[in-house]
Amino acid sequence: MEVTSGRERSGRAAGIAAVAVAVVAVVAVLGAWLAGGGGFDIAWLPTWDARLAFRLDGLGALYALLATGIGVAVFTYATAYLPRHLEHEQRPQADGRRFHALMALFLVAMVGLVTAQDLLLLFLFWDLTAIVSYLLIGFDHQHREARLSALMALLVTGVSAVLLLIGILVLRAEYGTTSIPELLARAAGGPAGPAVTLAGALIAVGALAKSAQAPLHFWLPRAMAAPTPVSAYLHSAAMVAAGVFLLSRLHPLLASSPVLLDGLLVVGVVSMAVGGLLALSEDHLKRLLAYSTIAQYGYVVTMLGVGGAAGAAAACFYVLAHALAKSALFMTSGAVTEATGGKALSEVGGLARAMPALAAGSGLAAAGLAALPLTIGFFKDELFFKAAAGRGQWLAVVAVLSAALTFAYVTRFWTGIFLGRRRRPARAVPRLLVLPVVVLGALVVAGGVVVEPFAALAQAAARVTAAGPVQVDAAYHLDTRTENLMALATYAAGLALVLGRPALTATLSGFRRLGQLAGPERVYVAVLAGLNRLSNAVHDIEVRDLRARVVAVLVPAGALVGIGVAATPFEGAYRAGSFSQGDAPLVVALLTCSLAALVVARLRHHLALAIGMSGVGFSLAVAYSLLGAPDVALVAVLIETLFTLLFVAVFALLPRRVLRREAALPPHGSRRFRDPIVGAVSGILVLLVVWAALSRPTPTDTTASRQLALAGQAHGKDVVTVILADFRGLDTMVEITVLVVALLGVAALLRRGRLW
Amino acid sequence: MTTVLTRMVARLLLAPVLVVAAAVLVKGYADVGDGFAAGVIAALGVLLQFLAFGRAAVERALPVRRSAQLALVGLLVALAVAFVPVLAGGAPLQHAPAPGGKVVHLGSLELLSAVAFDVGVFVLVLGLSVAFIHLIVGTPVEEGGQP
Repeated sequence: MEVTSGRERSGRAAGIAAVAVAVVAVVAVLGAWLAGGGGFDIAWLPTWDARLAFRLDGLGALYALLATGIGVAVFTYATAYLPRHLEHEQRPQADGRRFHALMALFLVAMVGLVTAQDLLLLFLFWDLTAIVSYLLIGFDHQHREARLSALMALLVTGVSAVLLLIGILVLRAEYGTTSIPELLARAAGGPAGPAVTLAGALIAVGALAKSAQAPLHFWLPRAMAAPTPVSAYLHSAAMVAAGVFLLSRLHPLLASSPVLLDGLLVVGVVSMAVGGLLALSEDHLKRLLAYSTIAQYGYVVTMLGVGGAAGAAAACFYVLAHALAKSALFMTSGAVTEATGGKALSEVGGLARAMPALAAGSGLAAAGLAALPLTIGFFKDELFFKAAAGRGQWLAVVAVLSAALTFAYVTRFWTGIFLGRRRRPARAVPRLLVLPVVVLGALVVAGGVVVEPFAALAQAAARVTAAGPVQVDAAYHLDTRTENLMALATYAAGLALVLGRPALTATLSGFRRLGQLAGPERVYVAVLAGLNRLSNAVHDIEVRDLRARVVAVLVPAGALVGIGVAATPFEGAYRAGSFSQGDAPLVVALLTCSLAALVVARLRHHLALAIGMSGVGFSLAVAYSLLGAPDVALVAVLIETLFTLLFVAVFALLPRRVLRREAALPPHGSRRFRDPIVGAVSGILVLLVVWAALSRPTPTDTTASRQLALAGQAHGKDVVTVILADFRGLDTMVEITVLVVALLGVAALLRRGRLW
Repeated sequence: MTTVLTRMVARLLLAPVLVVAAAVLVKGYADVGDGFAAGVIAALGVLLQFLAFGRAAVERALPVRRSAQLALVGLLVALAVAFVPVLAGGAPLQHAPAPGGKVVHLGSLELLSAVAFDVGVFVLVLGLSVAFIHLIVGTPVEEGGQP
């Protein structure tokens, strides 16, 4: 690192630029929020009635401040982390530019996502986050593990995003708009019909997969193959938050269907349990935090399932408190791995003395996650308990149990790293790897002492979520109200879990093994392997054997045409016109064509084959010109000439003996029966269709006749050219663009992408 | 492989072929043919040279290495004609002069923006075809006859 080249410096400059972007963004969002929100709205897709509408309302402000604020902390961390990471991976420092640019792009996508007021626009940003997250998780692309993890994250969140899009389109069909405020206003009219419930369910599946909720949670622990700043950002405050954000954004709509809310409740509770239990038994530092994230967003989803003012308040405050604490803990794990090389709890320990600042900062964050008093986390659990107790006894019990799980695994995480016996020596780490953790830890405590600004932000967000007045009542009450008793029960149960964990080891590892044997990840792997096999099988049929490929086109096409022929009444459909002397040249041309085609079927010699096929084409061209289509005839002649010459050129390049050997090979087995039958049947069916089409009276007022009449006004006499360059000019435009893309494809195949 | 006769015919044909292509292009709006046909005709002339003289000789004599860039130029011309009207507040591919407007003639060439679009198509098709031909002819033949 002593010798810094220009490219190396550019990596560092990109990191600083990313921090600057985040700082500007957080200042802008905060300024706009304090100035009372605001936004803009410009036309975008008029035919779809979609608009580029952005507005910073309470909910958008909460998530945008998290995305940008945590962004500042994580990007700062990344400027120190990435140079060392690249050094470990023996990659050039210049690769850092890509990383920082992607992180900044993710921040922009996230801010766009949370401020978008149109569902189609929101969906665009949604997919942008999925793509950028794919690139970020797979940043260490030299590792197979990282590539597979990135693909898994992309497939799970991307395929479920298609469901989200379908849900959006169903809503559009139902209410006639994709604008979120209008949609909510129109949906507020009454209870949801089956179509709206279906749309809500599809949207919820997309959102839950994004937030890594059970049973689509398995991609998140795998995604820990990403560099630590990615996890600290995407998997604490940004990417996974997008899912619960969408649920909050559309909560008034979802709330109109009790089934959907109950579904959210179930998914949330299951995620809390699965994430909590797996986190308690996980050894790998980052995966432990990933399971914790699954559980924590399970809390939020549960609260959204409870709904109402209490549920909305708890959900919004929870997201805020969790993001602060969790990104600090992710960054802690990265700093610890950087200092000791240990990646799992069993490899580290006793670091409190060597890294006191990190221990303090992450201790505060851990206390926040464990909901100790004097941290912002205390209030997140108070609000959570209040909403849960309001829903019913059973949920109150579940809430205490899962909060106790959280308490237990967070304690295990922190004490496992910083207390106990030191297993490995710790190197000094750059200050910037510790500072963001300390700042976030301080914020967690600040929120526990002066909670009002945080509560105000959560309250504004909760009002949007609940579409009604919400009071976020976060204060210390020294009395025996239900929430306080539940908190005390949590601490007691949590302590019991911490102390009794050795006795639970067998149960926990049994649960883990069950998940490995029959969990949803197995289904994912099986589905992927099945698709791969199917694709290989189709590929074999298509590419290995040219004859099979032709048959694969002709047989289904022939079957469809045959159904069409059978379904049409025969009466009057096939009329034979009269034969006049003027038709004689046409008949001669067509007969020549048929004769040439029959000859081609018998030929063996390559050059003769090429000449024979050109005979088929040229006699067809003659037929076109006799039918009064000179433009088509001209193109046919040109293409036939081109192909014949190309065949000749290729044969000239091939060694003679290869051609002779190929020509002497015995005919393919399918030539005796299959090929003639397939050809004859499909030919006869096509003949019937063409015959029927020609038997119909010529319509008088068609697009063609109108365009013929208009050609003069477009200053043209040749209507074909006028259609190509003017009437359907945009089609031509797109087609020639496709041609250029095809050239790139051919070049990639023949010359490995080198065009010249 | 090729005789003196084929080489001479190929050499003599190149200029007439290009002239025919230009004629088809210019007359496209009034008669049979358009930019696509003209592009293929011109490419045929080049293909003939490949057949008669071989790749190395053609690469020396004609700028075939630049054919892919030529195709891009054609695409850019077509795009420019299509989207300049948008800058003026019109629709894409809104041609000038408008229906009923006066058309300036230059011999049989009509000065229309639609013809300019067709010229873009011509350049693109010519560039593409020659690039394809060059790619196919330039692919090394492996033993066993699989190109």
